[in-house]
Amino acid sequence: MKSVIIIPDRCIGCKQCEIACSVEHSKSKNIYSSVFETPKSAPRIFVLPGDHSCFSFPNKCRHCDPAPCLMICPTGAIYKDSSIILVDPTRCIGCRMCAMVCPFYVIRYRESPDIVERYVATKCDGCIDRIKKGNIPACVETCKTGAILFDDLNKILKEKGLNFAKKVFLVQKEGKKIDVLQEKNCYNMLQELKEKLYRTMVVEDE
Amino acid sequence: MNEKSIHKDAEHFISISEKEGIETVWNRLKSQEPHCGYCELGLSCRNCAMGPCRIDPFGDGPQKGVCGASRDTIVARNLLLTISAGAAAHSDHGRDILETFYETSNEKTSGYMIKDVEKLKKLAIEFGINVNDRNDGDIARELGAKLMEEFGTKQKRLTLLDRSPKKRQEIWERLNIVPRGIDRENVESLHRIHMGVDNDYLNLLLHSLRTSLSDGWGGSMIATELSDILFGRPEPLVSSVNIGVLKENEVNIALHGHNPILSDVIVQAAEDPELIKIAKEKGAKGINLVGICCTGNELLMRKGVPMVGNHLMQELVIMSGVLDAMIVDYQCIMPSVVDVAKCFHTKIISTFDKAKFEGAEHISFDKSRGIEIGKKIVRLAVENFENRIPGKVDIPDKPVEMMAGFSVESILELLGGSLDPLVDAIKIGKIRGVAADVGCNNPKIKHDYGHTYITKCLIENDILVLVTGCAAVANGKIGYMNMDAVKYAGKGLKEVCESLKIPPVLHVGSCVDNSRLLVLVSAIANNLGVDISDLPVVGTAPEWYSQKAVSIATYFVASGVDVVLGIPPAIFGSQKVVDVLTNGLKDLVKATFSVEPSPDKAARLIQKKIEDKRMLLGLSYREIG
Repeated sequence: MKSVIIIPDRCIGCKQCEIACSVEHSKSKNIYSSVFETPKSAPRIFVLPGDHSCFSFPNKCRHCDPAPCLMICPTGAIYKDSSIILVDPTRCIGCRMCAMVCPFYVIRYRESPDIVERYVATKCDGCIDRIKKGNIPACVETCKTGAILFDDLNKILKEKGLNFAKKVFLVQKEGKKIDVLQEKNCYNMLQELKEKLYRTMVVEDE
Repeated sequence: MNEKSIHKDAEHFISISEKEGIETVWNRLKSQEPHCGYCELGLSCRNCAMGPCRIDPFGDGPQKGVCGASRDTIVARNLLLTISAGAAAHSDHGRDILETFYETSNEKTSGYMIKDVEKLKKLAIEFGINVNDRNDGDIARELGAKLMEEFGTKQKRLTLLDRSPKKRQEIWERLNIVPRGIDRENVESLHRIHMGVDNDYLNLLLHSLRTSLSDGWGGSMIATELSDILFGRPEPLVSSVNIGVLKENEVNIALHGHNPILSDVIVQAAEDPELIKIAKEKGAKGINLVGICCTGNELLMRKGVPMVGNHLMQELVIMSGVLDAMIVDYQCIMPSVVDVAKCFHTKIISTFDKAKFEGAEHISFDKSRGIEIGKKIVRLAVENFENRIPGKVDIPDKPVEMMAGFSVESILELLGGSLDPLVDAIKIGKIRGVAADVGCNNPKIKHDYGHTYITKCLIENDILVLVTGCAAVANGKIGYMNMDAVKYAGKGLKEVCESLKIPPVLHVGSCVDNSRLLVLVSAIANNLGVDISDLPVVGTAPEWYSQKAVSIATYFVASGVDVVLGIPPAIFGSQKVVDVLTNGLKDLVKATFSVEPSPDKAARLIQKKIEDKRMLLGLSYREIG
């Protein structure tokens, strides 16, 4: 069973997933016309800064099982379809119960194309329409760094584990210190500089 | 403590803005974070409609743009565009002054005259113009026409490059980066950036150097020279700085932007007896002019007009409630000043047709009616005095004394007409070397922290610090630019400062006046018979934000001065570009860039670079730990 998996150290904060998500959930599904629609479409994935701006994290619904939001919804507006948790906007009364119990703070209240002048629970629908047509979710498709993947979870974890194992032996073989947690590349280089810059705001100030 | 500024006045207004929900640059930075990593790395390209494209920095995703451009091509192209925008800004500023100068020589302007005839003649001679038995207007007219050619296509090389050491000129010739025409290099940059033109990252980087040189030795240098001729050559003077220069009982006018052709006329207009009379009728005691950013620095250098703040102060000064008008020309003026002004009575008046601000009152400036328009603008400010909101008056600090006016000519005069005393002080090691702290503010680093921290470390270690632009205001405001600051200097530097009666940190001018630094280092190098790159001289821009700053940094490096940047530029997407700029340039132009966000480490790096240069010159050497 494939699902969306986030690899946080690959996220570079470009927010293209937010845009792709907004377009996918607009009426026209077209970036040029979607910006003129009312109500305006909005993302259901949120790229948030970490403890400071050097890190970013794409936060979205995890489609939990059991899902606290589904269990607490008093009107039965939240339901499950092939392991994806969905909201029926016509049944939502905007009581906020789902948002209160969601451990990830990924539910927002917005007008939807079907329900206007009323704010209903809106969240990631796993791009269920796309999946049913054999496509991958919009956020996954747009992410070029591999921070948002769509695959079998255990398969990805196995691959990550294999990579890790290789690095462990590299450390032994080459006898030099290798950061086993992070790949070294130009983005890390920039992150280090940004972290240094950030530290000037707090630490050097004795 | 996570403070946003080192200054009392800034912190005071930032906390009020947070309480009252007045949006500032710091709020907007926060809401932009996290920033797009592609853009931060320089790996996004939106030059053509086959794209936009981006290169995956991790290596699994796309590695080429649709056209086939590699990460190196894209990063280098983006950097060239940044430098060109900066060079164009300085050079177009220079052209505006040149046009005013030329029109003045034809007696077609109001409010301008040839103030420094000596400098006019000196410059004319450099351009091969006969100055004997001719009137000033004639000389100026011929010089003006010649200078216009510097912007065009006729020339094979910019004339003012002759001021640099011969060895330096040979380097430029060898690399084929001699700037030809000021506009030409910028236009050629835009051409090279077009798809399918220059795809070689090294070739692009070399043209970046050439374009920046057309700024430093062209547009900026012409701006400085002609401003001195029209408005007077700066002489050492004492003025003051910070929010305290605003006066509760006077009409306060802030001049913000860069070009003195407007602000100089405003100074004249504000002296108009009729306007002062109206101000008094409205209950004010007079008209008080203050400066922000470089147009302020231009006025401070020549007329001693006090500075109310630098780049990151521009929104905050409005919150004093006593600013009756902010008159803006161009560059570095945040569009948000209009929004902040809506919460107060301050009028924002834009003046240049090429720089309009939605929500501001626009009065089109025309140099042929300079004084008339200047008076019209000042009148608006005077009439706005009565609209002050009594409860909102807030001036939370007292001004600090600050010296300014250190043009190359005035430094020479202080030294008794020759550079020898300065060169000797460097030789015997009383002064270890010279550092230029220049450039902007950036909300990514605590306001003025980088500038002042680095300056303090340097003067403590006997390094004379020259400052321009926002860096000057930062150092002035913390008290490093008055005679009292001599106490912060190391023993050798202190001795020199005391004997010359100068502070350890000298205000050299606005950001186009970084060209004065080129003139100064050239003169020192020529005095010693060496190249600029042999001198114990380093530039730093710890808080830079603008494209102009990148152009300045690049022409420093291309001229042989190592530069230490505090904010990482958008080049880290290409290891090759990073390698060339931080290392490879050493073989090409004998100077490199460094990026060091920690002011403490940056200060030590600058010191080390200076001591290393001393060693190579065979001068006394200090180990830097």
